[in-house]
Amino acid sequence: MSTSGVTPMVEAIGVHKHYGGVVVLKGVDLSVARGEVTCLIGPSGSGKSTLLRCINHLEKHDAGELRVDGELVGYVARGGKLYELNDKQICGERAQIGMVFQRFNLFQHLTVLDNITVGQVKVKGIEIEVARAKARQLLARVGLENKEKHYPSQLSGGQQQRVAIARALAMEPKLMLFDEPTSALDPELVGEVLDVMKDLAKTGMTMIVVTHEMNFAREVANTLYFLDGGVIEESGDPRVVLSSPSSDRLKSFLSKVL
Amino acid sequence: MTSNGDDAAKVVPVRHYGQWVASLFALVLLAMLVHTLLSKVPSQTSQTVCRTVGGVRTCHPLMVWRFGWDVVGRYFTTADVLHGLVITVELTLIAMTLGIVIGVVLAVMRLSPNRLLSSTAWSYTWFFRGTPVYVQLYFWFYISTIFHSLTIGVPFTNITFVHLNVNSILPAFVSACVALGLNEGAYMSEIARSGLLAVDEGQTEAASSLGMTRPQTLRLVVLPQAMRVIIPPTGNELISMLKTTSLVSAVSVVDLFGATSNISAANFQNTPLLIVASLWYLIITTILSIGQFYLERKFARGALRTPPPTPIARLRSDVKGVLGKFRTARVPKGVRA
Repeated sequence: MSTSGVTPMVEAIGVHKHYGGVVVLKGVDLSVARGEVTCLIGPSGSGKSTLLRCINHLEKHDAGELRVDGELVGYVARGGKLYELNDKQICGERAQIGMVFQRFNLFQHLTVLDNITVGQVKVKGIEIEVARAKARQLLARVGLENKEKHYPSQLSGGQQQRVAIARALAMEPKLMLFDEPTSALDPELVGEVLDVMKDLAKTGMTMIVVTHEMNFAREVANTLYFLDGGVIEESGDPRVVLSSPSSDRLKSFLSKVL
Repeated sequence: MTSNGDDAAKVVPVRHYGQWVASLFALVLLAMLVHTLLSKVPSQTSQTVCRTVGGVRTCHPLMVWRFGWDVVGRYFTTADVLHGLVITVELTLIAMTLGIVIGVVLAVMRLSPNRLLSSTAWSYTWFFRGTPVYVQLYFWFYISTIFHSLTIGVPFTNITFVHLNVNSILPAFVSACVALGLNEGAYMSEIARSGLLAVDEGQTEAASSLGMTRPQTLRLVVLPQAMRVIIPPTGNELISMLKTTSLVSAVSVVDLFGATSNISAANFQNTPLLIVASLWYLIITTILSIGQFYLERKFARGALRTPPPTPIARLRSDVKGVLGKFRTARVPKGVRA
């Protein structure tokens, strides 16, 4: 939880989101302090992924206040009015938030190295040689230094996800979002991705992780949020929340996943 | 049983008698075709050839190739035919380029969330696919009878910047390019759209999350991957266009077909000149097909773990496969008769 006086990295107050008639988020309040790891857990359809996608404006929230680094997501407040940001301004906001997807979403037509340099060069205007040096350094960090010439289809799921993390980190984000990063992986490959994420957490990166890995949440997260039916049911220190859940919903959820 | 335990047992492969009969039948038909193509018949002009051998004079009718191969050879590379060939290739390339550009723009418009843009694109496709290309060729040829001049200026005012005579800017060749290109654009838009739709939405989301703008996402991420889906049907369209250009002789453009038609109108050698045109179309189609193969290989990068074999590699493996049929079939190790 954030200490008073310091703006939290992410702050949500009463965030609502619906698709047509289906209400997905029914007033979510959440606060993520700088340098902390926050895990979002909850059953399928509870709105975890939607909340994550609202934070980097891949989805537009319908009501409520959502701030990243003190700035409103998707709008700018001027003279008592909210002005919607244009495409370019939204892109500028997104470039500062890294996102890792369940299905990796590496660019299939580009090599591993090009996947990590394309954003740096085309979005941030970094010179190609500098971008490549950074990409190689990140590949070494995720343990894939000898794979730079491979295409994504030639890598295992765990390797692809580590490249995807490197690709997001190359943009030097102030916040990293992980949308079920290990759910599409074979069980024996989950560990290698979680290890990379643990190392990242140690560097003081602010991370929001939607996950079903309760051990990871317990071990790494500073704060845990349990979402169900579009609202936060329970939150707090994961060691406390996971070992002695107070709500019945969390109890029944944990009995199924643990 | 084998005497040596390490030897594999001899295996008798399955005999496909039905296939043998069918192959024999096909071979006979092929032989008949070749025989007809290379046969000679008495000349239609009733010419005779007479010879005197040992004081005896014998006459028999002049024999000529049934398919006029000598005439084909004589006209195959004449200046008129080659000029027509150049026109055909130029028309094909210009119309196709125009078609591809229009098609991609229409496809992007069609997928736009803006209803006006998407319905404009839909209407374009509806109109240009819904009317015959032959009619469209005539329409653009006669456009100068509807619009005498082309003016660029501010709409609904008298302010003009450029004023052009339509007849001077739309000669037959240009009007043919425009007609074929606009028509092709309608077909290409559907092909491009299917390509864009085939790219996983996750790719667009990943590009967005890196902060790419929509045009950047399209250019750097979506289009390169859509190409893999777009190229095969586009190759098909290109080959189709090559032959559709033969319609332009209707609007007084002398393309390959027009050139050979003109020659046969003068010398009445219809079939040989049709063969001249057909052979050239076949040659160009073959070249285009080879080009398509290598283009497909280039854009398959990353999509396949191993690229498809080149034709030479495939031929080598085919020969090996056929030779293998005459050898004893391989048996998994350890299997005994």
